[in-house]
Amino acid sequence: MSIRICNLPFNSSFAPQPRARISSRRSTRVFARTENDTQQQLNLSVLRFTFGIPGLDESYLPRWLGYGFGSLLLLNHFSASVPINEPQLRSEALGLSLAAFSIALPYIGKFLKGSVVEQRTLPEEGEQVFVISSNIGDSLKEDLAWATYVLLRNTSTIAVLVSIQGELCVRGYWNCPDQMSKAQLHDWFKKKVDEIGLADVKETLYFPQYEGSSASWDILPNGTRSLFVQPFVQDINEQQKMNGFLLVASTAGYAYSDKDRAWIGAMAEKFRG
Amino acid sequence: MEARIILQIQILWNPNRQSFRRPCLHLPRFFIRASSSTSQKPRSYKGPKPSTNLVADFISRNDDLARSLPIYVGGASLLAVLFNRTVSGIAPVADASSSQSRADLLALGLAVTNLLTGLVWLSIRPKSITPVNPEGVDCKVVDSDLPTSIVSELLWGWESLKLATCCKSLVIVYNGICLIQIGMVAESPQDKKRVVVNTDKLMQGSVYRGVMKSKAQSYLANLSLYPGRSELPFLPANTQAVILQPLGDKGIAVIGGNTIRGFTSSDQAWISSIGEKLDATLGRYFVDSAEVSREKD
Repeated sequence: MSIRICNLPFNSSFAPQPRARISSRRSTRVFARTENDTQQQLNLSVLRFTFGIPGLDESYLPRWLGYGFGSLLLLNHFSASVPINEPQLRSEALGLSLAAFSIALPYIGKFLKGSVVEQRTLPEEGEQVFVISSNIGDSLKEDLAWATYVLLRNTSTIAVLVSIQGELCVRGYWNCPDQMSKAQLHDWFKKKVDEIGLADVKETLYFPQYEGSSASWDILPNGTRSLFVQPFVQDINEQQKMNGFLLVASTAGYAYSDKDRAWIGAMAEKFRG
Repeated sequence: MEARIILQIQILWNPNRQSFRRPCLHLPRFFIRASSSTSQKPRSYKGPKPSTNLVADFISRNDDLARSLPIYVGGASLLAVLFNRTVSGIAPVADASSSQSRADLLALGLAVTNLLTGLVWLSIRPKSITPVNPEGVDCKVVDSDLPTSIVSELLWGWESLKLATCCKSLVIVYNGICLIQIGMVAESPQDKKRVVVNTDKLMQGSVYRGVMKSKAQSYLANLSLYPGRSELPFLPANTQAVILQPLGDKGIAVIGGNTIRGFTSSDQAWISSIGEKLDATLGRYFVDSAEVSREKD
């Protein structure tokens, strides 16, 4: 027998509502019916609510409550009369550890399946560049133009760099000197890439929380949070395949899920030959 | 790296020589730099290495446990607060009079927050759907008149779909010809071999006409609910989801998957991009070959 608690739907989603509403009252109807499965069907979606204020992320509510209640606990501790008895110390310790756990809850929630991925933000300064090496044939140039366009559109990428046998195609927002001709820009990128030594990378590199690195990596635009490098898979048996790599960067943290990385690998496979 | 060959040529002083005018040793050294681009090894990678995030790995692997963790923490702290009260002999009265009760109230508030967060996480758990193995035969049939570049592009499309999505069957029909039929294919009951794609029947059917008219991708998330299922007899009978991608206005790509609602919106976007690319490539090839055949006549 299963008990189904039906709640009248009241702000049952995180979408911002036109009027600010706080769900404070809800009426419930409880009815039971026999079912063959033993799973209890609880409709918990009523617990999800939104204040309706645009830009306010309610999933961070435990963190604010943790900070607020934790500071109130400390205030209570220091304003109490000096000989604080042991039970109070115990409950304060419990309260503070609960506050610390609540503060960490949004961070844990980010890794659960089905969590909302951060949106990318375009960098304020810098312009878009689109440079292709002149040593590449026309059909390959077309393929590169299409692939870089698709990567910028279908993932949260803001900067793409493809290297095939040392020749580069660069597209998106990069931190490069302006007032350079396309050929000079290509050589500049090539020099920077050689300095980092990206051609030597053997496996995929994924930095979901990129903080900034040594001087050679300053070609990446400001605000880069995710970085993914996919080298073309090398097989000893296949000699005529091309070598190179594909680099994508985004301003959103944890921007490349497993599926995104699988698709980027498929793009790299296209250029391998 | 450049290979440097240092060649040292020493002219030794031959003691048997009669003239002793030059008793010194000549040691000219020749440095030959041999560097060719084909044998150049790339400079070794000097960048950051990705670090493992233990918390993220643990949570991704134990999703259910992580979702119910706040409930356990909140419930346990509720009980702990009450236990603390009873053990220390203070009456469990919830008012804000003494600082002990204030501290208890705050701890209770946090416990309730944790409980509710755990319940919210449980409510937004995505439903996990098991994939269904398609019944049929595995086949790989490519039209023999196509040049290798087109064949390799079609095969690349198949490999990427197979790797990144739940796709198990792919059929591409362009200009009235079935260019490729690959993956799991329905088995015809008469001769136990693959069902051949009847392109005329397909192109006259409502499914094809509907997709061509709307010029947009059509996603049939649960194929068993769709009445036009009978127009796709070449797909395995238990195909769960199908994406119909028009290739321009001359062709269609039929992509069958093994999970209900198995194609995410990101997959749909990628499939429409690949459809546009294939249309550009195939369109150009067929226009060229039409011109060539017209010139011959």
